[in-house]
Amino acid sequence: MLDTASQSAFQVKPELISVELQHEIEQFYYWEAKLMADRRWEEWFSLMSKDIKYWAPLRSTRSHAAEAKLEYTDEKGFGHFADNWSSLDGRIRKITSDVGWSENPASRLRHIVGNVLIWKDRQADVYDVSTSLMTYRNRQERQTDFFAAERQDRIRRVDDACGFEIVERKILIDQSTLLSNNISFFF
Amino acid sequence: MTLAPHTPSGRKYNANEIRALVNTDTGRYSPEIYTSEDLYQLELERIFARSWVCMGHETQIPKAGDYQAAYIGEDPVVVVRQKDNSIRVFLNQCRHRGMRICRVDGGNAKAFTCPYHGWAYDTAGNLVSVPMEQEAFGGKLNKAEWGPKQARVETYKGLIFANWDESAPNLDTYLGDAKFYMDIMLDRAEGGTEVITGVQKFVIPANWKFAAEQFGSDAYHAGTTAHVSGIIAGVPAGTDLSKVQPPTDGMNVYIGNGHGCGLFSRNPMFYQVICGPQLTEYLTSGPAYEEAVKRLGQGRADVNLCHMNVFPNLSFLTGLNTVRMWQPRGPNEMELWTFTLVDRTAPDNIKEEWRRNMVRTFSASGVFEQDDGENWNDIQHVLRGHVARQQPFNIEMAQHTVQSTSIAPGFPGESFAYTYAEESGTQHLQALG
Repeated sequence: MLDTASQSAFQVKPELISVELQHEIEQFYYWEAKLMADRRWEEWFSLMSKDIKYWAPLRSTRSHAAEAKLEYTDEKGFGHFADNWSSLDGRIRKITSDVGWSENPASRLRHIVGNVLIWKDRQADVYDVSTSLMTYRNRQERQTDFFAAERQDRIRRVDDACGFEIVERKILIDQSTLLSNNISFFF
Repeated sequence: MTLAPHTPSGRKYNANEIRALVNTDTGRYSPEIYTSEDLYQLELERIFARSWVCMGHETQIPKAGDYQAAYIGEDPVVVVRQKDNSIRVFLNQCRHRGMRICRVDGGNAKAFTCPYHGWAYDTAGNLVSVPMEQEAFGGKLNKAEWGPKQARVETYKGLIFANWDESAPNLDTYLGDAKFYMDIMLDRAEGGTEVITGVQKFVIPANWKFAAEQFGSDAYHAGTTAHVSGIIAGVPAGTDLSKVQPPTDGMNVYIGNGHGCGLFSRNPMFYQVICGPQLTEYLTSGPAYEEAVKRLGQGRADVNLCHMNVFPNLSFLTGLNTVRMWQPRGPNEMELWTFTLVDRTAPDNIKEEWRRNMVRTFSASGVFEQDDGENWNDIQHVLRGHVARQQPFNIEMAQHTVQSTSIAPGFPGESFAYTYAEESGTQHLQALG
């Protein structure tokens, strides 16, 4: 069995929630994807809570029988991301900079969000959400990169136009060796 | 993206033609060294199959039976810890029909069995069992002859190196004076370094020498435009960038055997924006710094950042402790394999600062590394052009601006008393001839 999460919430089938709540959360993710496609990075960053944990473990090829638990690095291991609010803030300064060569000229990004599974937490208005992501990145003349990933999020309801903030995001990328020359955007 | 196939096109180079590609007297060299398929095949034969190539760090395979996959050039190898604590490196290829014996990135094994016809190997890479050996081979197969090719293995302060060539000098001789500079990262603290778990691997469509040369001799790019946005990402919001000036009090060192490095002394600015204040304090004051002074001497303990390339493809940044191997994949592509080291005796919060900040700066998503991948990518793309390949590139920098001097008492190598010089990089391009 694939050991994908320290949070066991993601390992059991969620109980059904109301169609309206499902709709509300899906709309939140579609809006988030649009902010990224439109390069509205400051607005995108405002969806993160002050205590955000934004991380992506490394993934390696392992013998599934014996050593599946080694497939992902843990929270003490190296990763593709290991960010808090302050370091994400620095990344936003870079991606919006005129001298950030990896995103000036900018990538053309499309995040397709699907498979939205929602678990209610014990705390009111907190949800664990698993989404599947297809990310397409095209830049300059011909460079095109595809990524598929699962995002395991914890989101919290807030009283603003977007409706939620992201408290934790764990990105599980479906690649071992990354087949791109960098990750200069966000998942 | 898939690996582009590459086959030699038949262009032969004689030794004189190879030497003519790089001219350090005129400060010119040919971009052909980055594009020629035939030169690339010669690199695999004359550089990678003869050099001491880094396999990783000892703490990645601490226990008997622990193993990890690695490469020497494009040859896949398995690196395995033995029961007597020694390390074996052997070609990841079954001698029967050439199948990859071990198909995962690492783990712990008691034996390796080829999935094709079941030939089984012990952890030392000896062929120990062949299915139907009596019936099919009449009991006449000499298994001792048919194990995968073994490489020589030696370590230096935690780093594991392998070399196919029986006639090559030993690792100690090969590294030579490079050890003096490697120690600034590897020997600051009692017990040396340990690895943060995980090797990040990603594909950059550019020649491996751009990367090796940058870490060997190119402080210039960091002191100019390449990483301005990485610096912006690391300074607190609202900081006046004019106060974050690149240091100019450093040296560029050609060490010999193709190894090169560049040093910044007593200027912790780069530590601040790359490592953050906590790790900067750990590296530049207090008990860990005092210990470094005792072990390395004041001069080396006060080196605040050293970029280094150990020929051919091992690079690291001292203090930041990002370590990387540039794995060649044809003339137009490389894989970057990178991991981070920490002082074994450092407090947990300092190890955590190292981890977080190297993911943040020197990784695929790193606010510094992102832009390196971008530049090399574009250089290689331009070199598809016929006319672009006829234009010699400029390596005059060190000749015009500085004279060879000694850096500091006891610092070995041929040195240039300015941070921005290119001598250490140009020399290693000549190793091919």
